[in-house]
Amino acid sequence: MNFETVVFYVFAALAVIAASRVVTARNPVHAALFLVLAFCSMAGVWILLEAEFLAITLVLVYVGAVMVLFLFVVMMLDINLVQLREGFWRWLPFGAVLAGLMAFEMIWVLGSSKISGGKEVIKHAADYSNTKELGRLIYTDYVYPFEIAAVILLVAMVAAIALTSRRRKDAKSQVVPEQVAVRKADRLRVVKMSAEKHAQKSDSTAGVAQ
Amino acid sequence: MEKITNFFKTFLLFELVKGMALTGRYFFARKITVQYPEEKTPQSFRFRGLHAQRRYANGEERCIGCKLCEAICPALAIKIEIAEREDGTRRTTQYDIDLYKCIFCGFCEESCPVDAIVETRMFEYHGEKPGDLYYTKTMLLALGDKYEEQIARDRAADAKYR
Amino acid sequence: MMELLQTLLQTGQELLGPAWLPVWTLVKIMAIIVPIMVGVAYLTLAERKVIGYMQIRIGPNRVGYFGLLQPIADGVKLFFKEIIVPSGSSKFLFVLAPIMALAPSLAAWAVVPFTDGMVLSNLNAGLLYILAMTSLGVYGIIIAGWASNSKYAFLGAVRSAAQIVSYEIAMGFALVCVLMASQSMNLGDIVNGQQGRFGMLNWYLLPLFPMFLVYLISGVAETNRAPFDMAEGESEIVAGFHVEYSGMAFALFFLAEYANMILIAFLTSIMFLGGWLSPVPFLPNGSIWLLGKVSFILLLFLWFRATFPRYRYDQLMRLGWKVFIPITIVWVVVVAAWMQTPLWVW
Repeated sequence: MNFETVVFYVFAALAVIAASRVVTARNPVHAALFLVLAFCSMAGVWILLEAEFLAITLVLVYVGAVMVLFLFVVMMLDINLVQLREGFWRWLPFGAVLAGLMAFEMIWVLGSSKISGGKEVIKHAADYSNTKELGRLIYTDYVYPFEIAAVILLVAMVAAIALTSRRRKDAKSQVVPEQVAVRKADRLRVVKMSAEKHAQKSDSTAGVAQ
Repeated sequence: MEKITNFFKTFLLFELVKGMALTGRYFFARKITVQYPEEKTPQSFRFRGLHAQRRYANGEERCIGCKLCEAICPALAIKIEIAEREDGTRRTTQYDIDLYKCIFCGFCEESCPVDAIVETRMFEYHGEKPGDLYYTKTMLLALGDKYEEQIARDRAADAKYR
Repeated sequence: MMELLQTLLQTGQELLGPAWLPVWTLVKIMAIIVPIMVGVAYLTLAERKVIGYMQIRIGPNRVGYFGLLQPIADGVKLFFKEIIVPSGSSKFLFVLAPIMALAPSLAAWAVVPFTDGMVLSNLNAGLLYILAMTSLGVYGIIIAGWASNSKYAFLGAVRSAAQIVSYEIAMGFALVCVLMASQSMNLGDIVNGQQGRFGMLNWYLLPLFPMFLVYLISGVAETNRAPFDMAEGESEIVAGFHVEYSGMAFALFFLAEYANMILIAFLTSIMFLGGWLSPVPFLPNGSIWLLGKVSFILLLFLWFRATFPRYRYDQLMRLGWKVFIPITIVWVVVVAAWMQTPLWVW
């Protein structure tokens, strides 16, 4: 067993343990953190496959952004575990069938000779850039699927923002550009006045005021 | 035109640079820190520091146990017990100031009809264990004896303003 | 010097055989981490001195000449302090959090080049790796805030999580401009791409000036430094995510913050200020230039803190989402178009 195999088994075992803890952990925050660990160990496995771009992107996007927002939400929720566990036994058979089905599908797809076929990983030279290769493929062979996916994401994003950004008429809000545009001269007037004189000497002005 | 200059000023962070220029100028300004143990700021003769109990020139303690200071103390830091002495005068048997409570307002000194309790200029004192800063009558009298000269001088200097 | 290194390498190889590679790598890692830690220690002193001077004070000057031993005294003090674990906290996560804060900021140094070729790991996707590592730093803060079982810590964690995620996007886009200009994600290649006959004018600072500002300001926000230190916010949430920490655990958060500052300063100088390249053509290149640039950016960090009041949280979010991200996206397009014209001379 060479070094790479050892590293692979370490990462794989970590990923499996973490993934199973995601579903079994009692505390939802712990579950989310185990998911982070699972992502990280999968990134390790991908690096072993020389897919460094995907591995780093997994860490960057999923661990660095998506899971942070997940944790953000999960930490805020007040989750009642007892209530959550109520229907466990009733729904277990249904869930088990679904899980079995999915496992079967995955084995069927991944086990077919088209995808893996037990081939060895192709080793590349040190200056081989996985990123460049990926970019070339995306913008040549797979340009239409890629652009369509991008457009769908954009539409989803615009829709999500449009749905949530209803402005209430009675709500007060700041108009930031106006605030930024304000200059000192607009709001502040410096008045030059002579220093106030003693009461006795200002008899004449007092008379005018009356 | 003004809008355009404002636009560029905003994006070139003009005001932030102006602010930084100000702090940058102060970086080279003369420093005004007083290096405490070696240097000290001038002290007023009205400085309110550690308390002391005074005596008359003949060695008789001034305090007559009127309890005015105890009554006025806003922090309830003073505790007084009184009794009649053999010569028939009214004297304190206990006069404690809890310096943990004391806020150094100087009311005790002002309320005192015989100038017995005073606040000295001493401010460099400390306690090492709980209770060290609970000053009893003997401690206060000892302080008074020790600093009497300076206390008398400060009272004399302040007398014309009273 | 080089010969000595060569002989050392050879004897090591002969002595240890296959175990030599990990040993030598460890030596290299130590050679990077130890100076960083010393730098962090003295950055704290520099911060206190600089801010003191800007406030007409003189800063620490009691421990050692000019206060030079102050960081060591602080370290010793923190080292011997008791670590209090609050009741009701999640103990494992409570201890893990400071480690999670420090580890990514140290891991990112693996791909930072100090001069041409002097880098621990010459990764092709170096820029991405840096982005990934800096984005992991937020976990330390989130876990610390949640595991402390304290409302102040939790509020600090929530603030910081939202803040870091928002500013990472702007930072990422700024870096996209850099990698478009240099056509490489290797940090060494990025610096070499800025080499040219005109010294300073060849740096990416010139064509990517808006990105430089965005990156620097986002960097300040990413490291939770003033004026973006909402995660700490002494005046409203005491000290934010690390209220419950004491002793060495607290020190680790401190180390992480300053190590991140140094990292951001290094990255800014490498990507926009030409790294180890000399600003004028007639002087030789060398890591001394890199150190000079890094020191200047660190001074800027301290200067910001001495000058600007803290942002309000909604203004911070507005700056991130409504100002920086649009600017960066526009500039990505501008640079992409610019590069297609003969006017692109970098």
